[in-house]
Amino acid sequence: MTQRDRAVIQASNLGKAYGDVQALKSLDLRVPEHSIFGFLGPNGAGKTTTMKLLLGLIRPTSGSSTIFGQDTVRDSLAIRSRIGYLPQQPHFYPDMTARETLRFTARFFFTGSAPEIEARVDEMIALVGLQDKADRTVRGFSGGERQRLGLAQAQINDPDLLILDEPAAALDPIGRLDVLKVMERLRERTTIFYSTHILDDVQQVSDTVAILNHGELVAQGPIEQLLSGGDSPMYSLSLRGDGEAAQARIADLPWVAGVDVARHNGTTAWQVSVTDEATAEAQLLRQVLADEHVTVLEFSRKRYELEEVFVNIIQGDDHGRQ
Amino acid sequence: MVGNSALQRTKGQVWQRGFANLFGKENRAWWGTRRWAVQTVLWAVVVNGMLAFIMFGVPVLLQQTSPAEAETFDAVVQGVQALFQLGTVALALGAILIAQDQILGERQSGVTEWILSKPVSRDAYILSKLAADAIGVVVVLVGVQSAIAYGLITLANGTPLPLAPFLVGAGGLALHTLFYLSLTLMMGVLANGRSTLLGVPLGVLFGGMLAANFIGKAALLTPWSLAAVLPATVLQLPLPLPAALPLAVTAALTVVAIAVTLRKFRQLEF
Repeated sequence: MTQRDRAVIQASNLGKAYGDVQALKSLDLRVPEHSIFGFLGPNGAGKTTTMKLLLGLIRPTSGSSTIFGQDTVRDSLAIRSRIGYLPQQPHFYPDMTARETLRFTARFFFTGSAPEIEARVDEMIALVGLQDKADRTVRGFSGGERQRLGLAQAQINDPDLLILDEPAAALDPIGRLDVLKVMERLRERTTIFYSTHILDDVQQVSDTVAILNHGELVAQGPIEQLLSGGDSPMYSLSLRGDGEAAQARIADLPWVAGVDVARHNGTTAWQVSVTDEATAEAQLLRQVLADEHVTVLEFSRKRYELEEVFVNIIQGDDHGRQ
Repeated sequence: MVGNSALQRTKGQVWQRGFANLFGKENRAWWGTRRWAVQTVLWAVVVNGMLAFIMFGVPVLLQQTSPAEAETFDAVVQGVQALFQLGTVALALGAILIAQDQILGERQSGVTEWILSKPVSRDAYILSKLAADAIGVVVVLVGVQSAIAYGLITLANGTPLPLAPFLVGAGGLALHTLFYLSLTLMMGVLANGRSTLLGVPLGVLFGGMLAANFIGKAALLTPWSLAAVLPATVLQLPLPLPAALPLAVTAALTVVAIAVTLRKFRQLEF
């Protein structure tokens, strides 16, 4: 069984209702081992609710979920000993220093001599760049410093799964970059399940994403698949010459769903959406080149930006509800 | 890497996971800071200051203003009664004030959510606070103050009072204080606002004392009777019912409050 086949998190029909309000509706989720799994969705979509369900902080009203094959309700304590969690707005004891906070957190996971614990604490402080703030009380920490401390405490137990709720939300661009580097570095030995609004970050580090809207999963899959258009791929062509006849002929092909045309500075840009990816890859360029009145300047499969995919999916889902 | 170090993963019974760490943290808040000293001085002034005034100050004042009354004024009896009557109320108030922020404050700030995302049982979270505060309250509010009071009473009396009845009295005072500590911790779980949290234990304390006037002899079984039962026990005066009865009822109510706290906290969502 490969790492891709092994699921660290699995949810089946997982739901949470608060009275009449359905915060999460029948979520089916699968987070592969050693993936950096981006959990996306607009505010109020149910991301934090899902994370809290997985951590046993709230109880599901329907369905079930497992982490490491263990039930998140029944075996929550055993699961939490292998997890690191960063809440959306981390809060710690204000009178403790960063070092004391990490020492306190470490003692939930480890027994051992004080120097061993201290070494682990020092390692985490260095990892998040809080060396010069380590002995200050958390009370005086900025949002970014609190977030860094949150990241450090989440990793103190060398977790098999990191659940991060908006890990870079309060960080400046450098801090954000540091977080992404840490996540990349941890990929080898842990699975990271994180929510964020910063889609650039997701595109940079995630290998799998899920998109949640109004408490429902609206898309899930490898990020490459989403960025390449999923089930409706599109090809971009840049042409010179009179392409009207070619356009009509291409649009009539049975595996072509549509051709959008835009003209700019003497060149014509086509966006060809297709229904049969394999045939399109083999035939599309050949079909266009068959027309001697056009010259193909560029041909490529259109690669979406995650933001574009995200907005399309969310808006499409919202329109479907109206 | 952790795997290569001498660090060992914690183990233990499910209910006690995280208890030692949380209990250590709560104990440090009592004994690793100035809290114990501040509380000791504060309650020494309130409880024993009042006791000293009654036993040493009032007789002097009476000598100057009403020598006849001074003749009949028994400083030791008055002191013991004041210690246990006012002491029960004052120390219950102390316990309420100490416990008021322990659970609700952490729930509202998000600290509880953070703690419970670690391998910590919910029972351990509650019991660590209860145990640490119970030790702090019993030692600082009751133990130290009772010892000082015993010294003051001995000084006023010329000879020590019988120790065993005094220890029963101090034990009753401790139990009464623990009841209000448990009640306030329970309200930290049940209430979502500070006014309810404080209102219920204060209502039980003062409302109960008023209500006890209207329920006849049944009042002798309640915690509110301890203000009268404890000084009578220490002074070895006759009682209509054994002192063990209201003590047992108070202990039972304390256990009920703890049980409700544990049960409701297991159901809370964060």
